Amino acid sequence: MRGGWTSGLRHMAAALLVALSAPVAPARSASTQSASIQGASTGSAAAPGTPGPGAQPQGMPLPADLLTRGEYVARAADCGACHTVPGGAPFAGGMAFHMPTGTLYAPNITPDAQAGIGQYSEAEFIRAIRQGIRRDGATLYPAMPYPSYARMTDDDLHALYAYFMHGVRPVPAPVVQDGMHWPLSMRWPLTLWRRLFAPDPAVTLQGAAARTFSDPVVARGAYLVEGPGHCGACHTPRAVTMQEKALTAEDGPLYLSGGAPVDGWRPVSLRGENRTGLGRWSEQDIVRFLATGRMPLGAAFGGMTDAINHGTQHMTADDQLAIARYLKTLSPTTPASAPGWAYDPTAANALHAGDAGARGARHYVDSCAACHRTDGRGYPTTFPPLAGNPVVMDPTPDSLIRIVLEGNTLRATKQAPSAFVMPGFAARMDDAAVADTVSFIRAAWGNDAPAVNAADVARIRRSLSPEHPPATLPMN
Amino acid sequence: MSDDARRLKPVDVVVVGGGWAGSIMAKEMTEAGRTVVMLERGPDRSTAGEGAYPASIDELEANFRYKLFQDLSKSTVTIRNNASQTALPYRRMAAFLPGEGVGGAGLHWSGVHFRMPPDDLRLRSRVIEKYGAKFIPEGMNLQDYGVSYEELEPFFDRAEKVFGTSGEAYKVNGQVVGQGNVFAPSRSDHFPLPPLKDVYTAHLFRKAAAEVGFHPYSLPAANASQQYTNPYGVQMGPCNFCGYCSGYACYMYSKASPNVNILPVLRRHPLFELRPNCHVLKVERDSTGTRATGVTYTDAEGRVVTQPAEIVILTAFQFHNVRLMLLSGIGRPYDPVRNEGVVGRNFVYQNVTTSVVWLDPRVETNQYIGAGGGGVAFDDFNSENFDHGPLGFVGGSPVWVNQAGVRAIAAAHSGGPPGTPRWGSAWKAGMIDTYRHSLRIDAHGANMAYRDVYLDLDPTWKDAYGQPLLRMTFDWKDNDIRMNRYVVDKIGNVAKAMGARNVHLGMREFGRPFDTRQYQTTHLGGGAVMGTDPQTSALNRYMQSWDVHNVFVIGANAFPQGTGYNPTGMVAALAYWAAHHIRTTYLAHPGPLAG
Amino acid sequence: MAPGRRQFLGINGSGFISSRRRFMQGLAGVAACGTVSGTGAAAPPTPYTPVFFNAAEWNFLLAACDRLIPADANGPGALALDVPRFIDQQMTTPYAQGAQWYMAAPFVQGPDNLGYQLPYPPRDLYRRGIAGMNAHATTRHAKPFAALAPDVQDDLLRAAEGGRLVFGDVPSAAFFDQLLANVMEGAFSDPIHGGNTGLGGWTMLGFPGARADFMDWVDRYGAHYPLGSVSITGETA
Repeated sequence: MRGGWTSGLRHMAAALLVALSAPVAPARSASTQSASIQGASTGSAAAPGTPGPGAQPQGMPLPADLLTRGEYVARAADCGACHTVPGGAPFAGGMAFHMPTGTLYAPNITPDAQAGIGQYSEAEFIRAIRQGIRRDGATLYPAMPYPSYARMTDDDLHALYAYFMHGVRPVPAPVVQDGMHWPLSMRWPLTLWRRLFAPDPAVTLQGAAARTFSDPVVARGAYLVEGPGHCGACHTPRAVTMQEKALTAEDGPLYLSGGAPVDGWRPVSLRGENRTGLGRWSEQDIVRFLATGRMPLGAAFGGMTDAINHGTQHMTADDQLAIARYLKTLSPTTPASAPGWAYDPTAANALHAGDAGARGARHYVDSCAACHRTDGRGYPTTFPPLAGNPVVMDPTPDSLIRIVLEGNTLRATKQAPSAFVMPGFAARMDDAAVADTVSFIRAAWGNDAPAVNAADVARIRRSLSPEHPPATLPMN
Repeated sequence: MSDDARRLKPVDVVVVGGGWAGSIMAKEMTEAGRTVVMLERGPDRSTAGEGAYPASIDELEANFRYKLFQDLSKSTVTIRNNASQTALPYRRMAAFLPGEGVGGAGLHWSGVHFRMPPDDLRLRSRVIEKYGAKFIPEGMNLQDYGVSYEELEPFFDRAEKVFGTSGEAYKVNGQVVGQGNVFAPSRSDHFPLPPLKDVYTAHLFRKAAAEVGFHPYSLPAANASQQYTNPYGVQMGPCNFCGYCSGYACYMYSKASPNVNILPVLRRHPLFELRPNCHVLKVERDSTGTRATGVTYTDAEGRVVTQPAEIVILTAFQFHNVRLMLLSGIGRPYDPVRNEGVVGRNFVYQNVTTSVVWLDPRVETNQYIGAGGGGVAFDDFNSENFDHGPLGFVGGSPVWVNQAGVRAIAAAHSGGPPGTPRWGSAWKAGMIDTYRHSLRIDAHGANMAYRDVYLDLDPTWKDAYGQPLLRMTFDWKDNDIRMNRYVVDKIGNVAKAMGARNVHLGMREFGRPFDTRQYQTTHLGGGAVMGTDPQTSALNRYMQSWDVHNVFVIGANAFPQGTGYNPTGMVAALAYWAAHHIRTTYLAHPGPLAG
Repeated sequence: MAPGRRQFLGINGSGFISSRRRFMQGLAGVAACGTVSGTGAAAPPTPYTPVFFNAAEWNFLLAACDRLIPADANGPGALALDVPRFIDQQMTTPYAQGAQWYMAAPFVQGPDNLGYQLPYPPRDLYRRGIAGMNAHATTRHAKPFAALAPDVQDDLLRAAEGGRLVFGDVPSAAFFDQLLANVMEGAFSDPIHGGNTGLGGWTMLGFPGARADFMDWVDRYGAHYPLGSVSITGETA
């Protein structure tokens, strides 16, 4: 998510430096109606320019469940991941995005009239979310995933607006903007980008309405994943100009086929590949993962930790199931004839016999096997398996290398109150040792991913930013 | 002091001490909808911090610099063998190792997790029934707990499920179901996890003990034999026999601790607040002296503050609970001369000696492999499982191989067979041979309570807060030495059956006083015992002070005399037992729970 | 690596590097001597300049360590394991200043079984004990301890161990016990603390060190464990 934009904007800056000029386009109307998957739309958006705050005229009570629904939509859209600083007031902004072009801070989106979005009318709010257009007409940095949010229903956005206006405490502290250097300090290239690549909500919503699903659960899942969940922001590859190459399952097999590594984290494919995707994950596995960050085949790390922490763990079991069922409809990008993963006991047998002579095997025994076992099966769901783990077999080894260097914390969730911490081994292993270890893991137990070299490790090691210290260690 | 103290916002319950008992009581009280403040004098601790792999696997820091243990520089005890001596401060860690910090000793214990034998709970009655009242030696304060095994059974069961205890049952609901301890009482359910695998030495011991005619069983261990999720929803990893239990936070999250098994849920509870680095000085009482009003403590910034509360629950280590009662004037201090008073009375230790068996030098015993609570025991000479009549002593001792993992510095200190020098080439040869080819067998016996063994406040030495240290008056008595020697003698037969090449039987010697310089065990008990008679117990059978009804005291301090088993399982069950009665009775009708 | 992460692992960068350097130096020392174990030859310690002990004290420490754990057919001695360096480095820790001991007055001497009652933390015990040992050696043999023949040194150490010497108000056994305890620690603790060079202490014992995982070995009864030791920083033997 936000990590994607750390390097994403870097590329975009380069792309837009090509001399282009275009006037700032007049804002399009956002008062698009569409069939909501949840049912009929309950609110009709006011015209742009209507003064805020509040969608509800004075004195008219809010429907009882509107704020609750709005809060739920905020969870599903993971607003807090960027707009709430850990330990800070909810949605008061300030999350920093460090980039070579400068530092971007997520804005305050509390209903404070000056510091926040209190003056937004509902129509302006919806326009900002769906189209990335600020109240004053300027274009939002596309760290805001408005290409996905364009799919959100009026109904959800109405509830979301009500929640932000009435369910969130106003925080008067403004977020100081903006540390961006030229050219990204100018908003017009963003506008250009938006016009080129952001979908037209009217078209998007018409398309969504026209789409048919035989299973309403899958339909709900498609809405959540492609819309508020904005999963593709990380898990779909991007073009050189940084737009996602596919925004929905209908756009073809690149959708959710794995994103570019970001800060050493490689978002894996969420499609049906046997070895590198969700091919061997059941619906229930996915549900468990979304709720707890852990399931028998793997555990959450990197950006997904925040997505689970702020977002998916708070979703209803029905919505978690809808996401799972929808993801399971995504066909693999690998040919059907590609051999699936099957456990190979060779490496385990050697280690069990005390033979740690293979490349990286001794490092594995000395640093990894205590938790992940010599047979690579780990102790699910406490310590994840490495045998058959899609992250391990991913063609891009970045995530695996980074976890070995930096460690990872599996955070507690509502349903799984235990946090588990893997320590980092950056101080214990040099680049060659990490490369040997990772190569061993990628080739043992039936895994078939290519070896890595010390230069790969050195590259990731350099990218580890001391400005991102690990979150406070969990206290269990 | 208390008059000047800053008064904090009142809470329903204040819990003093952040170990097992404190965490259980805090969890139960929050479940009952009460606001709880838990005060812990040590720092906050976690597995991710103190148990980071592999940095935490550091024997020097953990076992010789006592990283997770009580800071003796601030507070200790004084010890003497009898009332005619001047008690001297316990200045350096040695004989026993109290914990400190959130999780208490529960963070760095070994994990042996027993239920109390039914006969031990009513030992006085049982001994009189079997052998007559005259059998009890002069000066022995033999007592019953005032609570039965049947009453405690649901709470033993609860504790095992929370701890994720591994073991094998013998009887469940009266039916023989497995190869567990034939002397153990019936259970309402199996252990939540199957027993740990036997390490080699335990395997040999099991075989040999059976051959000799004893009844070996797997030690019940709060070291998870597989991944486990407890009733609170928290997860444990499996024990991988790493051998770093005692003195360490378990990096595998497989040894039960308050930190892993209870606190993850408690810390998230809106009614709960944990305050580390807060040293409680005193329980405050109202003008009548019969009701506690809260506690006064020195906070993390060194300020003296008072925390008002409706209920005060003392859950510190055994002797800290006793000391706090003495410092607060709760219950009448014990007077050994008149054998009157109750606080400080029936102070007991545990009667542990270790024997060593050397095997064929071609056999590697791999003593570094281990689990803190794992092993094999037999109970043929524990509790009232054997006829004491002709033997003339009270008490007994389980015998076991509990290979918790022998690490290198400890091996060097243990050295070779008796008679081997402590250094030089002879030491090297003997030490290496012993480490590689021997095994250790413990007699883990009971220690009875005596009229002249007790706790009181020291007249001379003070802690860092200016309060008198606790004084221990303790020595081994002939009854206990005879019991130890009788049981240890049986180990010789087992060693023979193992094909021992050499055996050292570690026995207690008559006339050799309690030695504070040698590590023995941290299983101290008594001093504020439970019972049914306010003349001989400080607490009623619900762990409630007889004199100040809103003070509950949970810990091994409640044991009227010692037992052959490790205390933690009993302490946890007593905590759940007391909590049950507070929740079902006391909260609605505050007052004495026993008349 | 983030500072927090370093702290978390318990290894700071410079400490790790210097430990690595020490390890390499240790190897160099071993190599210079030809062999450590098996021949009984004494290996010299890694070149090291003590920060706590003065020259006379250091000479005593080297000589005493060499007698307490001599190199022999069973494995390296305390010198090759850099035990003196370990002890010197320990002297700068809070432990050596008695920070973990109850050091409140009055200090009343009592029976041995009631434990240590001197007002001296480890640093003071070393200062007084070594001075006492050297004074005794000089009085009896006209030479400081380090200059005496090994069997004479052993006699003196045995006398100290048995409490037959008194160094002012320090009974010799109190000093000897302190010394012996630290020697054992230095030979067998993780090399991160400055001793157990090359994991020689662990190898001699057959102790795997900081691997701490025996899931595959717990039920291999009586078998020899084939993997070498590993330390906290990942050094292997």
